[in-house]
Amino acid sequence: MKLDLDSFKEITDSLMRNRRRSFLTGFGIFWGLFMLLFMLGGGDGLKAMLEKNFEGFATNTTIIVSDLTSKPYKGFKEGRYWELTRDDVDRLIQMVPELRTVTPIISRWGQTAVNDDNTVSANVKGVESKYSMIETPKLKYGRYINDIDVNQHRKVCVIGKRIYTSLFPDGGDPCGSFIRVGSVYFEVIGVDYNSSNISINGSADETILIPIPVAQTLYRYGNNVSIICMTGKTGVQMSSLEPRIRSVMARQHQLDPTDEQALFVLNTEQMFAIMDNLFKGVNFLIWLVGLGTLLAGAIGVSNIMMVTVKERTTEIGIRRAIGATPSEILSQILSESVALTIVSGFLSIVFTVMLLNGLESVVKDGTPFQISFGTAVSAALLLIALGAIAGLAPALRAMKIKPVDAMRDE
Amino acid sequence: MQIEISGLHKTYTGAQPLHVLKGIDLSIEKGEFVSIMGASGSGKSTLLNILGILDNYDEGEYRIDGTLIKDLSERQAADYRNRMIGFIFQSFNLISFKTAVENVELPLFYQGVPRRKRHERAMEMLERVGLTDWAGHYPNEMSGGQKQRVAIARALITYPKIILADEPTGALDSKTSAEVMELLSHINEKYGATLIVVTHESGVANCTNRIIHIKDGMIGEIEDNSAHKASMFGAATVMK
Repeated sequence: MKLDLDSFKEITDSLMRNRRRSFLTGFGIFWGLFMLLFMLGGGDGLKAMLEKNFEGFATNTTIIVSDLTSKPYKGFKEGRYWELTRDDVDRLIQMVPELRTVTPIISRWGQTAVNDDNTVSANVKGVESKYSMIETPKLKYGRYINDIDVNQHRKVCVIGKRIYTSLFPDGGDPCGSFIRVGSVYFEVIGVDYNSSNISINGSADETILIPIPVAQTLYRYGNNVSIICMTGKTGVQMSSLEPRIRSVMARQHQLDPTDEQALFVLNTEQMFAIMDNLFKGVNFLIWLVGLGTLLAGAIGVSNIMMVTVKERTTEIGIRRAIGATPSEILSQILSESVALTIVSGFLSIVFTVMLLNGLESVVKDGTPFQISFGTAVSAALLLIALGAIAGLAPALRAMKIKPVDAMRDE
Repeated sequence: MQIEISGLHKTYTGAQPLHVLKGIDLSIEKGEFVSIMGASGSGKSTLLNILGILDNYDEGEYRIDGTLIKDLSERQAADYRNRMIGFIFQSFNLISFKTAVENVELPLFYQGVPRRKRHERAMEMLERVGLTDWAGHYPNEMSGGQKQRVAIARALITYPKIILADEPTGALDSKTSAEVMELLSHINEKYGATLIVVTHESGVANCTNRIIHIKDGMIGEIEDNSAHKASMFGAATVMK
């Protein structure tokens, strides 16, 4: 098939002959591709929006919490209360070398924080500096709790966004000022603006972080801790470490290693996997619906081309009589179909890109809705293939028209 | 002999096979102006289709300039039609969404002649049939006579060896019929193309130099009409 000005004119001539029909047929393709691309872009955007909620939270975190035992073991009755200790942290580091970070926290709910006349209710969390590896802080002012704070039992604190706005309604850098938490005064050393919706024991917004030994003393924990958080080294599957973590803890605290209740293990990896699967499902639906609509459009093109060929029996017969070969007729019908598909499809791509761009500027929080260049290119290739397939059956029928048919149809 | 037909048989197969042509023998010289006459159902259209390589035949031989035309592939048939034969139809068969000049250009388009040259030649042809001013008009803006003259220009543009006209005046009134026939005989005389006209109008047949009567699939009488006196209404009353 040669593509020059002449064949181009032949195509536009016959498509423009029945403008409304060409337009409506093209609209089927336009809408199908629009649905597919827009949903793809929108789906990615939604996914990015959701992922933003978990920003600053290590996705391969495992936390362990102690609970009453549910099985008798080594002479102990079931229903025994036990607690994790700070020594367990060192034990885990030594026994499970695949762990990158192991850090304990102590948390205390419903504390009241006061600065002058401003009061706010807060969660107090005692942490080590390494806790920043689990929940990444976004410091607006000051610094995070460091090792010296922990070693010297300094009474310093990092406050969350809501605590800051409640206690310091005038704004400004609060570092250096003192706030009262319960009955003890703490110096503010930093403000954490992390607003991730996933966190351990209370949103970071409403949390006051203090060095863990201070919390242990203040709330009379002794050597005990509430939770131990850990992340694995790169490439380590946290779920595969779970049996070893259980056995280390069981040996130390005289627990039945099969007692699932005594040691509660939460693996965020699994939670994120569930969400990933959810999005895979959504993506599958998007492709199903989008491709389905596009296919319906292509079938529409095929149908209309069929009707067109039937209507043009005489014309095709004349062309054959004056010397058009069957392959020339075939390529003409095929190229009409491809041209119709490509023009409406390209318009659709342009329209979708513009709409997604508009959506991005309306949403304004930097969520990327736009489809990638690769997606657009593959959509264009898909269109050419669809156009050719849609045109094939009508073109084959046109090819079978004999020149005698031109004279018969009078 | 330019056209030689011998022992031509054609049967349309179907529930009831129809033996349309029952052994046709016919020779036509180069540059002749011939008419084929016959009642409807006599097989004259079938013969024309075979002459125009639009249809196959079962038995016998058909040669153009000695080349046997039989069992051609679609591509070959299309090529022969394009280069050797020009068609003029009763219902003009112009393509409605193309202008007069574009319609005339079409056979050259399928020959792969470049655009500019094609247009030049088409305009030249339109001038010969006296339609230069109508080149940009669409068929539905023209009268029947004008349309037929466009169709004649289209048939002539490839300088074919043979021009086949199937009831060229069938859809025209007597005055335009006369004009069209005059144009055809002018073309025959001036360019020496072989012209075969199928008609059932004696007036039209009277314009030709030889009249071949066909009846029930057989050649009947062949009249020499070089004096143009075949019309039962006399030489002066041309048509209808």
